[in-house]
Amino acid sequence: MKYFLPALWSETLKATRSKVPLLAAIGFTLAPLMDGLFMFIMKNPERAREMGLLSTKAQLAMSIADWTTFFSVLSQAIAIGGVIVFSIVTAWVFGREFSDRTAKDLMALPTSRKNIVAAKMIVVTAWVLAVSLWTYLVGLVIGYLVNIPGWTTQLAWQSFWDVLATAGMTLLLMTPVAFIASMGRGYMPPLGWAVLSIFFSQIIAAIGWGDWFPWSVPALFSGVVGPRAEQLGTHSYVLVFFASIIGLVATFWWWLNADQTK
Amino acid sequence: MSIFAIETNSLTKVFGDVRAVDGIDLRVGQGEIYGFLGLNGAGKTTTIRALLGMIRPSAGDVRVLGQAVGPYGRGPWARVGHLVETPSSYPELTVRENLEIARRLYGIADPDATSRIIEHLSLVPYADRQAGTLSLGNSQRLGLARALLHEPELLILDEPANGLDPAGVVEIRKLLESLAREKGTTIFMSSHILTEVDRLATRIGIIHRGRLIEELDTVQLEQLRAKRLEVQARHLEAAQMSLTSAGYEFELKDSTIVLDDPHAIEHSDDIARLLVNAGTPPTRLAVEQEDLENHFLRLTTAD
Repeated sequence: MKYFLPALWSETLKATRSKVPLLAAIGFTLAPLMDGLFMFIMKNPERAREMGLLSTKAQLAMSIADWTTFFSVLSQAIAIGGVIVFSIVTAWVFGREFSDRTAKDLMALPTSRKNIVAAKMIVVTAWVLAVSLWTYLVGLVIGYLVNIPGWTTQLAWQSFWDVLATAGMTLLLMTPVAFIASMGRGYMPPLGWAVLSIFFSQIIAAIGWGDWFPWSVPALFSGVVGPRAEQLGTHSYVLVFFASIIGLVATFWWWLNADQTK
Repeated sequence: MSIFAIETNSLTKVFGDVRAVDGIDLRVGQGEIYGFLGLNGAGKTTTIRALLGMIRPSAGDVRVLGQAVGPYGRGPWARVGHLVETPSSYPELTVRENLEIARRLYGIADPDATSRIIEHLSLVPYADRQAGTLSLGNSQRLGLARALLHEPELLILDEPANGLDPAGVVEIRKLLESLAREKGTTIFMSSHILTEVDRLATRIGIIHRGRLIEELDTVQLEQLRAKRLEVQARHLEAAQMSLTSAGYEFELKDSTIVLDDPHAIEHSDDIARLLVNAGTPPTRLAVEQEDLENHFLRLTTAD
Protein backbone atom coordinates (compact mmCIF):
# COMPACT_ATOMS: atom_id res chain seq x y z
CA MET A 1 0.00 0.00 0.00
CA LYS A 2 3.00 2.27 0.57
CA TYR A 3 3.29 2.86 -3.15
CA PHE A 4 -0.26 2.05 -4.25
CA LEU A 5 -1.87 5.14 -2.72
CA PRO A 6 0.60 7.53 -4.39
CA ALA A 7 -0.14 5.82 -7.71
CA LEU A 8 -3.87 6.18 -7.13
CA TRP A 9 -3.39 9.83 -6.13
CA SER A 10 -1.43 10.47 -9.33
CA GLU A 11 -3.96 8.78 -11.59
CA THR A 12 -6.82 10.63 -9.92
CA LEU A 13 -5.04 13.98 -10.38
CA LYS A 14 -4.45 13.24 -14.07
CA ALA A 15 -8.09 12.20 -14.58
CA THR A 16 -9.56 15.18 -12.76
CA ARG A 17 -7.32 17.74 -14.45
CA SER A 18 -7.91 16.55 -18.00
CA LYS A 19 -10.92 17.53 -20.09
CA VAL A 20 -11.30 14.07 -21.65
CA PRO A 21 -13.08 12.28 -18.76
CA LEU A 22 -15.21 15.37 -18.12
CA LEU A 23 -16.29 15.75 -21.76
CA ALA A 24 -16.99 12.02 -21.97
CA ALA A 25 -19.18 12.29 -18.85
CA ILE A 26 -21.05 15.26 -20.33
CA GLY A 27 -21.49 13.35 -23.60
CA PHE A 28 -22.93 10.41 -21.72
CA THR A 29 -25.49 12.67 -20.04
CA LEU A 30 -27.05 13.10 -23.49
CA ALA A 31 -28.53 9.56 -23.13
CA PRO A 32 -31.15 10.44 -20.48
CA LEU A 33 -31.74 13.80 -22.18
CA MET A 34 -32.59 12.11 -25.49
CA ASP A 35 -34.60 9.46 -23.66
CA GLY A 36 -36.58 12.22 -21.93
CA LEU A 37 -37.05 14.04 -25.23
CA PHE A 38 -38.58 10.93 -26.83
CA MET A 39 -40.89 10.54 -23.85
CA PHE A 40 -41.93 14.17 -24.12
CA ILE A 41 -42.66 13.78 -27.84
CA MET A 42 -44.80 10.69 -27.30
CA LYS A 43 -46.68 12.26 -24.47
CA ASN A 44 -47.47 15.26 -26.65
CA PRO A 45 -48.63 13.96 -30.06
CA GLU A 46 -49.51 17.43 -31.30
CA ARG A 47 -45.98 18.64 -30.76
CA ALA A 48 -44.73 15.35 -32.17
CA ARG A 49 -46.54 15.92 -35.45
CA GLU A 50 -45.11 19.38 -35.67
CA MET A 51 -41.62 17.88 -35.29
CA GLY A 52 -42.12 15.50 -38.27
CA LEU A 53 -39.33 12.94 -38.80
CA LEU A 54 -38.05 12.88 -35.25
CA SER A 55 -41.54 12.01 -34.08
CA THR A 56 -41.76 9.10 -36.54
CA LYS A 57 -38.45 7.69 -35.31
CA ALA A 58 -39.47 8.10 -31.70
CA GLN A 59 -42.68 6.21 -32.38
CA LEU A 60 -40.67 3.42 -34.00
CA ALA A 61 -38.30 3.11 -31.10
CA MET A 62 -40.92 2.82 -28.41
CA SER A 63 -44.65 2.66 -28.31
CA ILE A 64 -45.58 3.58 -24.75
CA ALA A 65 -44.39 6.64 -22.84
CA ASP A 66 -43.99 5.24 -19.33
CA TRP A 67 -41.24 4.72 -16.77
CA THR A 68 -40.73 1.07 -17.79
CA THR A 69 -39.94 2.09 -21.36
CA PHE A 70 -37.92 5.08 -20.19
CA PHE A 71 -35.65 2.95 -17.96
CA SER A 72 -35.36 0.25 -20.60
CA VAL A 73 -34.15 2.74 -23.21
CA LEU A 74 -31.76 4.28 -20.67
CA SER A 75 -30.25 0.89 -19.93
CA GLN A 76 -29.87 0.14 -23.66
CA ALA A 77 -28.21 3.52 -24.20
CA ILE A 78 -25.73 2.72 -21.45
CA ALA A 79 -25.02 -0.71 -22.98
CA ILE A 80 -24.33 0.61 -26.48
CA GLY A 81 -23.16 4.17 -25.77
CA GLY A 82 -21.12 2.85 -22.85
CA VAL A 83 -18.90 0.79 -25.13
CA ILE A 84 -17.86 3.96 -26.96
CA VAL A 85 -17.72 6.38 -24.01
CA PHE A 86 -16.13 3.97 -21.54
CA SER A 87 -13.62 2.97 -24.24
CA ILE A 88 -12.69 6.62 -24.80
CA VAL A 89 -11.92 7.05 -21.11
CA THR A 90 -10.05 3.71 -20.84
CA ALA A 91 -8.09 4.49 -24.02
CA TRP A 92 -7.22 7.88 -22.58
CA VAL A 93 -6.15 6.61 -19.15
CA PHE A 94 -3.82 3.97 -20.63
CA GLY A 95 -3.02 5.33 -24.09
CA ARG A 96 -2.11 8.85 -23.00
CA GLU A 97 1.08 7.63 -21.36
CA PHE A 98 2.30 6.65 -24.81
CA SER A 99 0.84 9.59 -26.76
CA ASP A 100 2.39 12.01 -24.24
CA ARG A 101 5.53 9.82 -24.08
CA THR A 102 5.30 9.69 -20.29
CA ALA A 103 5.21 5.86 -20.08
CA LYS A 104 9.01 5.73 -19.94
CA ASP A 105 8.92 7.77 -16.73
CA LEU A 106 6.68 5.17 -15.07
CA MET A 107 8.89 2.17 -15.76
CA ALA A 108 11.86 2.59 -13.42
CA LEU A 109 10.29 3.81 -10.18
CA PRO A 110 10.04 2.48 -6.62
CA THR A 111 6.28 2.46 -7.31
CA SER A 112 5.91 -0.80 -9.22
CA ARG A 113 4.30 -1.01 -12.62
CA LYS A 114 1.69 -3.33 -11.04
CA ASN A 115 0.59 -0.52 -8.73
CA ILE A 116 0.38 1.93 -11.61
CA VAL A 117 -1.77 -0.41 -13.75
CA ALA A 118 -3.98 -1.24 -10.74
CA ALA A 119 -4.43 2.48 -10.00
CA LYS A 120 -5.41 3.12 -13.62
CA MET A 121 -7.95 0.27 -13.51
CA ILE A 122 -9.46 1.68 -10.32
CA VAL A 123 -9.73 5.18 -11.78
CA VAL A 124 -11.53 3.80 -14.85
CA THR A 125 -13.85 1.74 -12.61
CA ALA A 126 -14.63 4.71 -10.37
CA TRP A 127 -15.29 6.94 -13.38
CA VAL A 128 -17.61 4.39 -15.05
CA LEU A 129 -19.59 3.78 -11.87
CA ALA A 130 -19.84 7.52 -11.06
CA VAL A 131 -20.94 8.42 -14.59
CA SER A 132 -23.47 5.56 -14.69
CA LEU A 133 -24.90 6.67 -11.36
CA TRP A 134 -24.96 10.28 -12.54
CA THR A 135 -26.70 9.27 -15.77
CA TYR A 136 -29.32 7.36 -13.81
CA LEU A 137 -29.92 10.32 -11.48
CA VAL A 138 -30.19 12.72 -14.43
CA GLY A 139 -32.67 10.23 -15.91
CA LEU A 140 -34.77 10.36 -12.75
CA VAL A 141 -34.84 14.17 -12.77
CA ILE A 142 -35.70 14.32 -16.47
CA GLY A 143 -38.39 11.66 -16.11
CA TYR A 144 -39.85 13.64 -13.23
CA LEU A 145 -39.79 16.90 -15.25
CA VAL A 146 -41.40 15.26 -18.29
CA ASN A 147 -43.94 13.77 -15.88
CA ILE A 148 -43.83 10.22 -17.26
CA PRO A 149 -46.61 7.96 -15.99
CA GLY A 150 -46.21 4.56 -14.34
CA TRP A 151 -43.71 5.32 -11.54
CA THR A 152 -43.20 2.78 -8.78
CA THR A 153 -40.33 2.71 -6.29
CA GLN A 154 -39.83 -0.99 -6.99
CA LEU A 155 -39.43 -0.28 -10.73
CA ALA A 156 -36.96 2.52 -9.97
CA TRP A 157 -34.81 0.19 -7.82
CA GLN A 158 -35.03 -2.63 -10.36
CA SER A 159 -33.96 -0.22 -13.10
CA PHE A 160 -31.17 1.13 -10.94
CA TRP A 161 -29.66 -2.35 -10.58
CA ASP A 162 -30.22 -3.03 -14.30
CA VAL A 163 -28.35 0.14 -15.22
CA LEU A 164 -25.58 -0.69 -12.78
CA ALA A 165 -25.29 -4.30 -14.01
CA THR A 166 -25.25 -3.18 -17.65
CA ALA A 167 -22.57 -0.59 -16.88
CA GLY A 168 -20.68 -3.16 -14.81
CA MET A 169 -20.60 -5.71 -17.61
CA THR A 170 -19.54 -3.06 -20.11
CA LEU A 171 -16.85 -2.04 -17.64
CA LEU A 172 -15.60 -5.62 -17.39
CA LEU A 173 -15.09 -5.55 -21.15
CA MET A 174 -12.82 -2.51 -20.84
CA THR A 175 -9.80 -4.59 -19.81
CA PRO A 176 -9.11 -5.65 -23.43
CA VAL A 177 -9.41 -1.95 -24.35
CA ALA A 178 -6.74 -1.15 -21.73
CA PHE A 179 -4.53 -3.86 -23.17
CA ILE A 180 -4.95 -2.64 -26.75
CA ALA A 181 -4.28 0.99 -25.69
CA SER A 182 -1.05 -0.17 -24.00
CA MET A 183 0.10 -2.51 -26.74
CA GLY A 184 -1.00 -0.12 -29.50
CA ARG A 185 0.70 2.74 -27.60
CA GLY A 186 -2.00 5.34 -28.09
CA TYR A 187 -5.67 6.17 -28.53
CA MET A 188 -6.54 5.00 -32.03
CA PRO A 189 -6.13 1.20 -31.74
CA PRO A 190 -8.47 0.91 -28.70
CA LEU A 191 -11.08 3.17 -30.30
CA GLY A 192 -10.91 1.08 -33.46
CA TRP A 193 -11.40 -1.97 -31.28
CA ALA A 194 -14.47 -0.35 -29.64
CA VAL A 195 -16.09 0.32 -33.02
CA LEU A 196 -15.34 -3.21 -34.21
CA SER A 197 -16.69 -4.76 -31.02
CA ILE A 198 -19.99 -2.87 -31.45
CA PHE A 199 -20.16 -3.92 -35.10
CA PHE A 200 -19.57 -7.60 -34.35
CA SER A 201 -21.79 -7.61 -31.27
CA GLN A 202 -24.69 -6.40 -33.45
CA ILE A 203 -24.04 -8.90 -36.25
CA ILE A 204 -23.53 -11.86 -33.92
CA ALA A 205 -26.58 -10.96 -31.82
CA ALA A 206 -28.62 -10.62 -35.01
CA ILE A 207 -27.73 -14.14 -36.15
CA GLY A 208 -28.69 -15.52 -32.75
CA TRP A 209 -25.30 -16.28 -31.19
CA GLY A 210 -25.06 -13.17 -29.04
CA ASP A 211 -25.23 -15.17 -25.80
CA TRP A 212 -21.87 -16.73 -26.73
CA PHE A 213 -20.19 -13.46 -27.66
CA PRO A 214 -19.16 -11.42 -24.58
CA TRP A 215 -19.40 -8.07 -26.37
CA SER A 216 -23.09 -8.72 -27.23
CA VAL A 217 -24.03 -9.58 -23.66
CA PRO A 218 -24.43 -6.10 -22.07
CA ALA A 219 -26.77 -4.94 -24.84
CA LEU A 220 -28.78 -8.18 -24.69
CA PHE A 221 -28.89 -7.85 -20.90
CA SER A 222 -30.31 -4.33 -21.26
CA GLY A 223 -33.22 -5.79 -23.24
CA VAL A 224 -32.38 -4.32 -26.61
CA VAL A 225 -33.99 -7.26 -28.47
CA GLY A 226 -36.41 -8.51 -25.82
CA PRO A 227 -36.46 -10.00 -22.31
CA ARG A 228 -32.94 -10.96 -21.21
CA ALA A 229 -33.97 -14.38 -19.86
CA GLU A 230 -34.74 -15.48 -23.41
CA GLN A 231 -31.47 -14.13 -24.75
CA LEU A 232 -28.82 -14.98 -22.17
CA GLY A 233 -27.73 -17.89 -20.01
CA THR A 234 -25.21 -18.35 -17.21
CA HIS A 235 -22.57 -19.13 -19.84
CA SER A 236 -23.02 -15.59 -21.23
CA TYR A 237 -22.03 -13.97 -17.94
CA VAL A 238 -19.18 -16.43 -17.45
CA LEU A 239 -17.83 -15.51 -20.88
CA VAL A 240 -17.95 -11.78 -20.05
CA PHE A 241 -16.02 -12.54 -16.88
CA PHE A 242 -13.41 -14.60 -18.76
CA ALA A 243 -12.96 -11.96 -21.45
CA SER A 244 -12.36 -9.45 -18.66
CA ILE A 245 -9.83 -11.65 -16.89
CA ILE A 246 -7.95 -12.26 -20.15
CA GLY A 247 -7.81 -8.49 -20.79
CA LEU A 248 -6.71 -7.84 -17.21
CA VAL A 249 -3.92 -10.42 -17.23
CA ALA A 250 -2.77 -9.29 -20.68
CA THR A 251 -2.59 -5.65 -19.56
CA PHE A 252 -0.57 -6.45 -16.45
CA TRP A 253 1.65 -8.85 -18.39
CA TRP A 254 2.31 -6.24 -21.04
CA TRP A 255 3.26 -3.48 -18.58
CA LEU A 256 5.52 -5.83 -16.65
CA ASN A 257 7.21 -7.61 -19.53
CA ALA A 258 6.98 -5.92 -22.90
CA ASP A 259 9.88 -3.86 -24.24
CA GLN A 260 9.16 -0.19 -23.70
CA THR A 261 10.65 1.55 -26.67
CA LYS A 262 8.42 4.66 -26.76
CA MET B 1 28.23 -5.11 -2.80
CA SER B 2 29.51 -4.42 -6.28
CA ILE B 3 32.12 -1.75 -6.67
CA PHE B 4 30.43 -0.74 -9.90
CA ALA B 5 27.43 1.55 -10.12
CA ILE B 6 26.68 0.05 -13.54
CA GLU B 7 27.81 -3.33 -14.77
CA THR B 8 26.73 -5.09 -17.95
CA ASN B 9 27.97 -8.41 -19.19
CA SER B 10 27.69 -9.13 -22.92
CA LEU B 11 24.57 -6.99 -23.06
CA THR B 12 22.82 -7.68 -26.35
CA LYS B 13 19.49 -6.53 -27.73
CA VAL B 14 18.13 -7.72 -31.04
CA PHE B 15 15.08 -6.20 -32.72
CA GLY B 16 14.15 -8.50 -35.61
CA ASP B 17 17.20 -8.57 -37.86
CA VAL B 18 18.86 -5.58 -36.17
CA ARG B 19 21.43 -6.05 -33.41
CA ALA B 20 20.83 -2.69 -31.72
CA VAL B 21 23.26 -3.52 -28.90
CA ASP B 22 25.88 -6.19 -29.46
CA GLY B 23 27.73 -7.69 -26.51
CA ILE B 24 28.46 -4.57 -24.48
CA ASP B 25 30.52 -4.91 -21.29
CA LEU B 26 30.20 -1.71 -19.29
CA ARG B 27 31.81 -1.03 -15.93
CA VAL B 28 31.02 2.34 -14.42
CA GLY B 29 32.59 2.92 -11.01
CA GLN B 30 30.95 4.73 -8.11
CA GLY B 31 31.36 8.50 -8.42
CA GLU B 32 32.41 8.43 -12.06
CA ILE B 33 31.00 10.72 -14.73
CA TYR B 34 30.78 8.44 -17.72
CA GLY B 35 30.16 9.99 -21.14
CA PHE B 36 28.47 7.61 -23.55
CA LEU B 37 28.97 8.69 -27.15
CA GLY B 38 27.63 7.41 -30.42
CA LEU B 39 26.07 8.46 -33.68
CA ASN B 40 22.28 8.39 -34.10
CA GLY B 41 21.15 4.77 -34.11
CA ALA B 42 24.43 3.54 -32.59
CA GLY B 43 22.58 1.91 -29.67
CA LYS B 44 22.90 4.56 -26.94
CA THR B 45 19.22 4.82 -26.05
CA THR B 46 18.68 1.06 -26.31
CA THR B 47 21.56 0.57 -23.85
CA ILE B 48 20.11 3.20 -21.51
CA ARG B 49 16.66 1.59 -21.68
CA ALA B 50 18.23 -1.78 -20.88
CA LEU B 51 20.05 -0.26 -17.88
CA LEU B 52 16.68 0.99 -16.62
CA GLY B 53 14.88 -2.32 -17.19
CA MET B 54 12.65 -0.84 -19.88
CA ILE B 55 13.68 -3.46 -22.40
CA ARG B 56 14.70 -7.04 -21.83
CA PRO B 57 18.16 -7.95 -23.04
CA SER B 58 18.21 -10.65 -25.73
CA ALA B 59 21.39 -11.89 -24.04
CA GLY B 60 23.66 -10.81 -21.20
CA ASP B 61 22.72 -9.13 -17.97
CA VAL B 62 22.61 -5.76 -16.28
CA ARG B 63 23.41 -4.85 -12.68
CA VAL B 64 22.76 -1.38 -11.31
CA LEU B 65 24.08 -0.35 -7.88
CA GLY B 66 24.86 -3.99 -7.26
CA GLN B 67 21.33 -5.21 -7.97
CA ALA B 68 20.20 -7.25 -10.97
CA VAL B 69 17.78 -5.34 -13.20
CA GLY B 70 14.46 -6.98 -14.18
CA PRO B 71 12.36 -8.94 -14.82
CA TYR B 72 9.03 -7.24 -14.00
CA GLY B 73 10.71 -3.84 -13.72
CA ARG B 74 12.75 -4.86 -10.66
CA GLY B 75 15.68 -2.63 -9.77
CA PRO B 76 17.06 -0.20 -7.17
CA TRP B 77 14.98 2.61 -8.63
CA ALA B 78 14.62 4.61 -5.41
CA ARG B 79 18.38 5.30 -5.75
CA VAL B 80 18.45 5.98 -9.50
CA GLY B 81 17.36 9.11 -11.36
CA HIS B 82 16.82 9.00 -15.09
CA LEU B 83 16.02 11.11 -18.11
CA VAL B 84 15.42 9.11 -21.26
CA GLU B 85 15.34 10.74 -24.71
CA THR B 86 13.15 13.82 -25.03
CA PRO B 87 11.69 15.08 -21.77
CA SER B 88 7.97 14.55 -21.41
CA SER B 89 5.36 15.52 -18.88
CA TYR B 90 1.61 15.68 -18.44
CA PRO B 91 0.81 18.79 -20.47
CA GLU B 92 -2.38 19.80 -18.64
CA LEU B 93 -0.69 19.64 -15.23
CA THR B 94 1.53 22.40 -13.88
CA VAL B 95 5.27 22.01 -13.39
CA ARG B 96 4.65 21.68 -9.64
CA GLU B 97 1.95 19.03 -10.12
CA ASN B 98 4.16 17.02 -12.47
CA LEU B 99 6.92 17.05 -9.85
CA GLU B 100 4.45 16.32 -7.08
CA ILE B 101 3.44 13.15 -8.93
CA ALA B 102 7.12 12.20 -9.21
CA ARG B 103 7.70 12.96 -5.52
CA ARG B 104 4.92 10.61 -4.46
CA LEU B 105 5.85 7.87 -6.93
CA TYR B 106 9.43 7.99 -5.62
CA GLY B 107 8.07 7.67 -2.09
CA ILE B 108 9.62 10.93 -0.84
CA ALA B 109 7.89 11.84 2.41
CA ASP B 110 9.13 15.43 2.61
CA PRO B 111 6.58 17.67 0.81
CA ASP B 112 9.15 20.49 0.54
CA ALA B 113 11.28 18.39 -1.80
CA THR B 114 9.20 19.63 -4.76
CA SER B 115 9.75 23.32 -3.96
CA ARG B 116 13.45 22.74 -3.35
CA ILE B 117 14.04 21.12 -6.72
CA ILE B 118 11.97 23.79 -8.48
CA GLU B 119 14.27 26.40 -6.99
CA HIS B 120 17.40 24.37 -7.68
CA LEU B 121 16.58 24.01 -11.38
CA SER B 122 15.53 27.67 -11.75
CA LEU B 123 11.94 26.71 -12.48
CA VAL B 124 10.34 29.09 -9.95
CA PRO B 125 8.83 31.44 -12.61
CA TYR B 126 7.22 28.44 -14.32
CA ALA B 127 6.13 26.44 -11.25
CA ASP B 128 2.43 27.11 -11.73
CA ARG B 129 2.45 27.07 -15.49
CA GLN B 130 1.04 24.11 -17.43
CA ALA B 131 3.89 21.87 -18.54
CA GLY B 132 2.48 21.78 -22.08
CA THR B 133 3.29 25.47 -22.50
CA LEU B 134 7.00 25.18 -21.59
CA SER B 135 9.81 25.75 -24.06
CA LEU B 136 12.01 22.77 -24.95
CA GLY B 137 14.73 24.08 -22.64
CA ASN B 138 12.38 24.40 -19.67
CA SER B 139 10.84 21.00 -20.43
CA GLN B 140 14.38 19.66 -20.22
CA ARG B 141 14.82 21.36 -16.86
CA LEU B 142 11.58 19.77 -15.69
CA GLY B 143 12.87 16.36 -16.83
CA LEU B 144 16.13 16.94 -14.96
CA ALA B 145 14.22 18.12 -11.89
CA ARG B 146 12.30 14.84 -11.93
CA ALA B 147 15.53 12.89 -12.26
CA LEU B 148 17.19 14.76 -9.35
CA LEU B 149 14.16 15.07 -7.05
CA HIS B 150 15.03 12.09 -4.84
CA GLU B 151 18.77 12.89 -4.67
CA PRO B 152 19.77 9.65 -6.39
CA GLU B 153 23.13 7.91 -6.07
CA LEU B 154 23.14 7.21 -9.80
CA LEU B 155 21.93 9.45 -12.60
CA ILE B 156 21.29 7.97 -16.03
CA LEU B 157 20.80 10.83 -18.46
CA ASP B 158 20.12 10.66 -22.16
CA GLU B 159 21.13 13.96 -23.77
CA PRO B 160 20.78 16.10 -20.62
CA ALA B 161 21.74 19.32 -22.43
CA ASN B 162 19.21 18.81 -25.22
CA GLY B 163 17.31 22.03 -26.01
CA LEU B 164 19.13 24.16 -23.46
CA ASP B 165 20.58 27.52 -24.44
CA PRO B 166 24.35 28.04 -23.96
CA ALA B 167 23.86 29.49 -20.46
CA GLY B 168 21.64 26.54 -19.57
CA VAL B 169 24.24 24.08 -20.87
CA VAL B 170 26.88 25.62 -18.60
CA GLU B 171 24.44 25.70 -15.66
CA ILE B 172 23.61 22.00 -16.03
CA ARG B 173 27.29 21.11 -16.44
CA LYS B 174 28.09 22.91 -13.18
CA LEU B 175 25.16 21.26 -11.46
CA LEU B 176 26.27 17.77 -12.55
CA GLU B 177 29.87 18.53 -11.63
CA SER B 178 28.85 19.64 -8.14
CA LEU B 179 26.66 16.54 -7.68
CA ALA B 180 29.58 14.30 -8.57
CA ARG B 181 32.09 16.26 -6.50
CA GLU B 182 30.05 17.05 -3.39
CA LYS B 183 27.66 14.12 -3.16
CA GLY B 184 29.62 11.46 -5.00
CA THR B 185 26.75 10.92 -7.45
CA THR B 186 27.63 8.60 -10.31
CA ILE B 187 26.57 10.04 -13.65
CA PHE B 188 26.10 8.04 -16.82
CA MET B 189 25.22 10.38 -19.66
CA SER B 190 24.91 10.26 -23.40
CA SER B 191 25.32 13.45 -25.34
CA HIS B 192 25.77 14.84 -28.80
CA ILE B 193 27.51 17.91 -27.41
CA LEU B 194 31.01 16.47 -27.40
CA THR B 195 32.68 19.54 -25.95
CA GLU B 196 30.41 19.23 -22.91
CA VAL B 197 31.20 15.54 -22.50
CA ASP B 198 34.88 16.34 -22.91
CA ARG B 199 34.73 18.93 -20.14
CA LEU B 200 32.60 16.90 -17.76
CA ALA B 201 33.35 13.21 -18.16
CA THR B 202 35.98 11.33 -16.22
CA ARG B 203 35.62 8.42 -18.62
CA ILE B 204 34.17 8.05 -22.07
CA GLY B 205 32.78 5.09 -23.96
CA ILE B 206 32.17 5.20 -27.69
CA ILE B 207 29.44 2.96 -29.09
CA HIS B 208 29.25 2.31 -32.80
CA ARG B 209 26.80 -0.04 -34.52
CA GLY B 210 25.86 -1.54 -31.20
CA ARG B 211 29.40 -2.26 -30.09
CA LEU B 212 31.50 -0.47 -27.49
CA ILE B 213 34.48 0.28 -29.70
CA GLU B 214 36.60 2.35 -27.31
CA GLU B 215 36.83 3.52 -23.73
CA LEU B 216 39.02 6.42 -22.65
CA ASP B 217 39.92 7.04 -19.04
CA THR B 218 41.08 10.33 -17.51
CA VAL B 219 44.74 9.85 -18.52
CA GLN B 220 43.86 8.96 -22.08
CA LEU B 221 41.48 11.90 -22.28
CA GLU B 222 44.26 14.20 -21.07
CA GLN B 223 46.59 12.78 -23.69
CA LEU B 224 43.94 13.36 -26.29
CA ARG B 225 43.62 16.97 -25.25
CA ALA B 226 47.44 17.50 -25.08
CA LYS B 227 49.06 19.79 -27.64
CA ARG B 228 51.96 18.63 -29.78
CA LEU B 229 54.29 20.18 -32.32
CA GLU B 230 54.37 18.41 -35.67
CA VAL B 231 57.35 18.96 -37.96
CA GLN B 232 57.92 17.78 -41.50
CA ALA B 233 61.09 18.38 -43.52
CA ARG B 234 62.59 17.23 -46.82
CA HIS B 235 65.63 15.81 -45.04
CA LEU B 236 63.97 14.03 -42.20
CA GLU B 237 67.10 12.34 -40.82
CA ALA B 238 69.06 15.61 -40.72
CA ALA B 239 66.16 17.31 -38.96
CA GLN B 240 66.00 14.53 -36.35
CA MET B 241 69.75 14.75 -35.76
CA SER B 242 69.65 18.50 -35.21
CA LEU B 243 66.72 18.19 -32.78
CA THR B 244 68.47 15.39 -30.88
CA SER B 245 71.67 17.36 -30.63
CA ALA B 246 69.67 20.34 -29.30
CA GLY B 247 68.30 18.06 -26.57
CA TYR B 248 64.72 17.64 -27.76
CA GLU B 249 62.87 14.33 -27.43
CA PHE B 250 60.44 13.38 -30.16
CA GLU B 251 58.59 10.56 -31.88
CA LEU B 252 58.42 9.81 -35.55
CA LYS B 253 54.91 9.11 -36.83
CA ASP B 254 54.24 8.63 -40.53
CA SER B 255 57.13 10.82 -41.71
CA THR B 256 56.22 13.46 -39.16
CA ILE B 257 58.36 14.41 -36.18
CA VAL B 258 56.11 14.85 -33.14
CA LEU B 259 57.36 16.84 -30.15
CA ASP B 260 55.53 16.86 -26.78
CA ASP B 261 58.12 19.15 -25.15
CA PRO B 262 56.24 22.17 -23.69
CA HIS B 263 59.14 24.50 -24.57
CA ALA B 264 59.08 23.35 -28.19
CA ILE B 265 55.30 23.83 -28.36
CA GLU B 266 55.43 27.30 -26.79
CA HIS B 267 58.46 28.42 -28.83
CA SER B 268 57.96 26.76 -32.19
CA ASP B 269 59.90 29.67 -33.76
CA ASP B 270 63.03 28.37 -31.95
CA ILE B 271 62.51 24.98 -33.60
CA ALA B 272 62.09 26.62 -37.00
CA ARG B 273 65.31 28.63 -36.49
CA LEU B 274 67.19 25.51 -35.32
CA LEU B 275 66.16 23.54 -38.42
CA VAL B 276 66.94 26.40 -40.80
CA ASN B 277 70.39 26.82 -39.26
CA ALA B 278 70.96 23.08 -39.63
CA GLY B 279 70.27 23.40 -43.35
CA THR B 280 67.02 21.40 -43.20
CA PRO B 281 64.22 23.98 -43.10
CA PRO B 282 60.77 22.62 -42.16
CA THR B 283 58.18 22.16 -44.89
CA ARG B 284 55.47 22.07 -42.24
CA LEU B 285 55.50 23.22 -38.63
CA ALA B 286 52.22 23.13 -36.73
CA VAL B 287 50.92 22.98 -33.16
CA GLU B 288 48.16 20.36 -33.19
CA GLN B 289 45.59 19.27 -30.61
CA GLU B 290 43.18 16.45 -31.32
CA ASP B 291 39.95 17.11 -29.53
CA LEU B 292 37.33 14.55 -28.63
CA GLU B 293 35.21 15.55 -31.60
CA ASN B 294 37.97 14.79 -34.11
CA HIS B 295 38.77 11.57 -32.32
CA PHE B 296 35.12 10.52 -32.23
CA LEU B 297 34.53 11.34 -35.89
CA ARG B 298 37.69 9.54 -36.93
CA LEU B 299 36.54 6.41 -35.10
CA THR B 300 32.91 6.41 -36.16
CA THR B 301 33.12 7.61 -39.73
CA ALA B 302 36.23 5.69 -40.76
CA ASP B 303 34.11 3.18 -42.66
